[in-house]
Amino acid sequence: MNMQIPENRKISPFFAFILIYANQIGIGILTFQRLISKEAGYDAWISVLMTGVCAHFIVWMIVKMLGTVEGDILSVHEFVFGKWAAKIAGIVFIIYLGLGMITVLRSYIEIVQVWMFPRLQTFWFALVFLFLVLYVVTGGFRVLTGMAFISSVLSVYVFFIFLFALPYANFANLLPILDHSFTDLLKGSRTMAFSFTGFELILFYYPFLKKPEKVQKWAQLAIAVCTVLYLYLTVITFAYFPEAQIQKNIWPSLTIWKIIEMPFLERFEYIGVATWCLVILPNVCIPLWAASRLAKHVFSIRQRTAVPVFALLCLIAVSMISTRKQINFLASITGTMGFYIDFVYLPLIFLATLLAKKVKKSGPSS
Amino acid sequence: MGRLLKFFIMAVLAAAALSGCVEKNILDDISLVNGIGFDYYDETKIRGTVIYPYYLPEKDPEDKTFTAVSEIKKTILDDIGRQTADPVVTGSLNIILFGEELAERKGILELVDAFQRDPGVGSTLYLAVVEGTAREFLEENYRYRSTVELVSRIIQHNIDRGDLPKTNLQRFLFDYYQRGKTPFMPRLKRKPGKIVDLDGINLFCKGKIVDYLPPDKMFFFKLLVDEYSEGLYLVEIDEGKASVHSIRSKRKFRLMEKDPYKIRVEIDVNGVIDEFTGNELKPATMKKLEHEFENMIKEECTKLIRRFKEKEVDPAGFGHFVKTKIRNFDIEKWRNTDYKDLTVEIKPTVKITQSGVIE
Amino acid sequence: MKLGWKRKKQIMGEDLKEILEKSEDFQAVSYQNKKTKTRFTLFYITSLVDERILHEIALPKLLNGDFKKLGDAKKILPLAEVDISRNKNEIEQKLFNGAVLLTVEGEKGVCCFFSAQKENVRNISLPEIEFSVLGPKETFVESLKQNLNLIRKRIPVKELIVEEIIVGRYSKTRVAILYIEGLTNEENVNTVRQRVEGIEYDEITDSSYVMQLISDNTNSPFPQMLDTERPDRVAAALTEGKVVLLVDGSPHAVIAPTTLVEFFNSYEDYLLDWILASFIRFIRFFAIAFSVLATPAYVAILSYHYQLIPVDLLNTLVASRRMIPFPPVLEAFFLEITIELLREAGARLPTKVGQTIGIVGGIVIGTASVEAGLTSNVLLIIVALSALASFTTPVYRIGNTIRLLRFPFLIFAELWGLLGIVVCLCFVTTHLLRLTSLGRPYLEPIYPPRLHDLKEAFVRPPLSTLRERPQYLRTKKPARFSRKAAKEKKDIDE
Repeated sequence: MNMQIPENRKISPFFAFILIYANQIGIGILTFQRLISKEAGYDAWISVLMTGVCAHFIVWMIVKMLGTVEGDILSVHEFVFGKWAAKIAGIVFIIYLGLGMITVLRSYIEIVQVWMFPRLQTFWFALVFLFLVLYVVTGGFRVLTGMAFISSVLSVYVFFIFLFALPYANFANLLPILDHSFTDLLKGSRTMAFSFTGFELILFYYPFLKKPEKVQKWAQLAIAVCTVLYLYLTVITFAYFPEAQIQKNIWPSLTIWKIIEMPFLERFEYIGVATWCLVILPNVCIPLWAASRLAKHVFSIRQRTAVPVFALLCLIAVSMISTRKQINFLASITGTMGFYIDFVYLPLIFLATLLAKKVKKSGPSS
Repeated sequence: MGRLLKFFIMAVLAAAALSGCVEKNILDDISLVNGIGFDYYDETKIRGTVIYPYYLPEKDPEDKTFTAVSEIKKTILDDIGRQTADPVVTGSLNIILFGEELAERKGILELVDAFQRDPGVGSTLYLAVVEGTAREFLEENYRYRSTVELVSRIIQHNIDRGDLPKTNLQRFLFDYYQRGKTPFMPRLKRKPGKIVDLDGINLFCKGKIVDYLPPDKMFFFKLLVDEYSEGLYLVEIDEGKASVHSIRSKRKFRLMEKDPYKIRVEIDVNGVIDEFTGNELKPATMKKLEHEFENMIKEECTKLIRRFKEKEVDPAGFGHFVKTKIRNFDIEKWRNTDYKDLTVEIKPTVKITQSGVIE
Repeated sequence: MKLGWKRKKQIMGEDLKEILEKSEDFQAVSYQNKKTKTRFTLFYITSLVDERILHEIALPKLLNGDFKKLGDAKKILPLAEVDISRNKNEIEQKLFNGAVLLTVEGEKGVCCFFSAQKENVRNISLPEIEFSVLGPKETFVESLKQNLNLIRKRIPVKELIVEEIIVGRYSKTRVAILYIEGLTNEENVNTVRQRVEGIEYDEITDSSYVMQLISDNTNSPFPQMLDTERPDRVAAALTEGKVVLLVDGSPHAVIAPTTLVEFFNSYEDYLLDWILASFIRFIRFFAIAFSVLATPAYVAILSYHYQLIPVDLLNTLVASRRMIPFPPVLEAFFLEITIELLREAGARLPTKVGQTIGIVGGIVIGTASVEAGLTSNVLLIIVALSALASFTTPVYRIGNTIRLLRFPFLIFAELWGLLGIVVCLCFVTTHLLRLTSLGRPYLEPIYPPRLHDLKEAFVRPPLSTLRERPQYLRTKKPARFSRKAAKEKKDIDE
């Protein structure tokens, strides 16, 4: 498959950092503390660290693999399995990306409905939001990256806001370290991995990055920063809540915001929830863009047609989900799928690529 | 294509504006409840009283109170909503008061839990127990612009400078949910002459009042409970009486022995003397004062801890402390035997740094 | 001696002749040279020609000089622009640029022309739109020649190129493209040239027309080119590596490409010392954010998020809103539109009256509407402040954009409160991300982030650190000056 990207459409490798960061930080960061503490209690921060280290390895593999084939995931599949398998794998990825998009958007709308506007109609908000997404995605990859960049920069202040919880934090909560068994920690990091997906999208935008040799560095840095951020939130949350209380709170991060008081601002969570709209925008835009790009090659349609079609499908799906049970079900499917793709399938395909490369190298000579 | 798309967006936005609206809470069309009180009514029901300021142009607001009886908080608010001109909202709630009887007989857990669940309620609001009923307390017209403001200010400055340990909804919940710790609440009293008085502390276990500490114990209570604190106490020696203002005190637990557990509580007090009734404040007198104060802290704190053990409460969080020090902490065993066998040694160090502007 | 109709027809084209005859100010006069007895005719348009040049300089020479053929005219006329042409189009064009045509009997189809244009040039006046306390006080006028003079004086080098293109079917406006060769990126110059050449329009009256016609995205409230009345700003832009357009008859030069942040930089920033200038820039950015977001935030918080209001402020806010019959959004619209009306009225009236209307209207209407209980005084303060803040923009055009921008934010704030404001912010950001100026990203240096340009965007660093030209211009000489020449650091007490 010929995937020459015009040079003026390419962006500097630094944006690998931004795109990975923007994708990692999303809805998951508002809820993950509860899920991991269910598995590993106050030791779950070790699980976060473990997942982070795993992610480092996997990102290393992904970038290495993409560098080998000089293309995106389709090229990898084509390289290893051939054209038809690549198309089928493409469809699987489209479904995964679509599910991810729907989960993020619906979960966000749920947060708005619970925390701000109980009577917000899912359909109308999703409609306007998807128009925004369309506006971004039709602007092309540069605009998309720009949006990711600006949303990351504008929302970074939120992480400093968590410091307001420090007077209430009791770091002794985290003691004693390693009160849980290693199996619990492993379970915790598996749960953590559900929220830690998102970096795999580099599989789709890798060809758009200039100077491929520098991508590795920025991608690793992004994972490191995200791990540190998740760790930071985990530690603050654990110090702020007793264990039993975390497990009662669906969105521990938002509950922490309830304590924040400033002289000109009585409560922060309303501003925080509104800001999160900016944070999840790239989380919907990038998968939509990636899915439409896959569709272009798999179904041979124009990307300009694929984008509105996917957006419409997303709108229909989002407005059909109404209860928390359904949202949780969807989130767990997406999380599981992401987990298996990222932490099981990708290492395998990495090995397969290495093997294929060896075979192809030795093939013509013998 | 572009123009069509834009027109479409406009049309959709207009439609969203018409039908996608969410419920409004226009500031002047709602009753901003800032205080709520609960009282015992009968076996199944509770009585809730809300208080909200009715704002008047160019005047201080007037407090209005409404009362309803029901089983849970939500239905109480619904019942009250039927009496008020504007819908009742709890977003700017500042204090929650519990009548003594309710807190003793029924417990307050369900009520507190309801506020924790409500995303509209902040975590910084104050909880307090009132002597008598919360209804009477709230309906009284104190000589201040707003009852709620008065109460929250009293609690606030007593936390900042007085003998009240830090407390609010989040801290109450923290203590409640933390294994090996029990919560407490300040206690308020209505005094004749329309005065509110902060009258000690109530200790809770499983959501019910189990003990009451009078105001003179609060200083030592705060030393034990808060990691850093500030307060005022009167020390008596032969030469006269001195009021010691502890500017900054620090408390630290140390686990000395296991099985049976022994904890040492190190309390460092840095203080200044505000007032002295004797003739002269010599260095020797200062030393004596320091020593006397140390003895008092030791004695009073030991007494307090004995009392905690008797009532099976642990507001200082010894249980939690032990949990952080050993692996596989068994909370049941701790509650049943270990806490009773626990020895606590108080090791106070008092340092008086200043004695005012007069030699 | 007036000429007959037939005679005139012989020299000029039939159609041109016919049409010119209809105009009263078209003149054709025949003379005879006293020495050589050569008969010649002058054609001109009286309203365009300076009679002094014609009668006091040109005519005496033609009548008394050694004038036999058309070619001699070039020698004997002491004027700069004397030329001979056979091209009918050129003849027509020159005639309407104030030239006098000269034909000699016997030489058919050829004519000589000399320029005797009447120049009605306004005096160079003080800047009114981009006023600055410090710095030069010159502004452009309506004459291209004069404007070029102002720029050439500031950049007296051969590398400053002035290209001229004539656009407009009726206006035949001269548009000059200025750039510095060897510095300005040719791609930018080519883009501008191509777009100006491509202009298909009948009447170009001002540089704003050109600007609107050649902008990258014409469906945007954001100006994508900077127009200025200050020659110093133009000179600075040229040496930065930008392309400048001057339009005859317009006292505004157009600078391209540009970025959003440049609209918030006043030229005076570069005249103050850098600490003060940076402070002022900071204030300005704050003012702009306030101006766009303050009223929407008021509407959002009062309609939806009462929880955010600090307790101490509640009393003031509720008491001021108590008697008002409208929801906050109507109240805000009412006041915003009042302010817009005042501003528009002030702009349309003569300066002195306009000012009075602005102040009196503001005070009277504001106070009256508060007293009548139509608006709250808190909102009045916010609206007045945000109007004031919008005046801090140093470029008039972006000030208008900011005025407009407030309204979509208001609508979104009414729709979904703070969430709506964020959604609207996302729309605006995306729009800005999609915009380009001559194909260069409009939001640079924020996106794509360029640290070097970023430092100049929000603060105004010391001049000695501005060693490099803005990167987005992709100039051929990125460095402004060599570092060696800049002074070395000395040790203490040396």
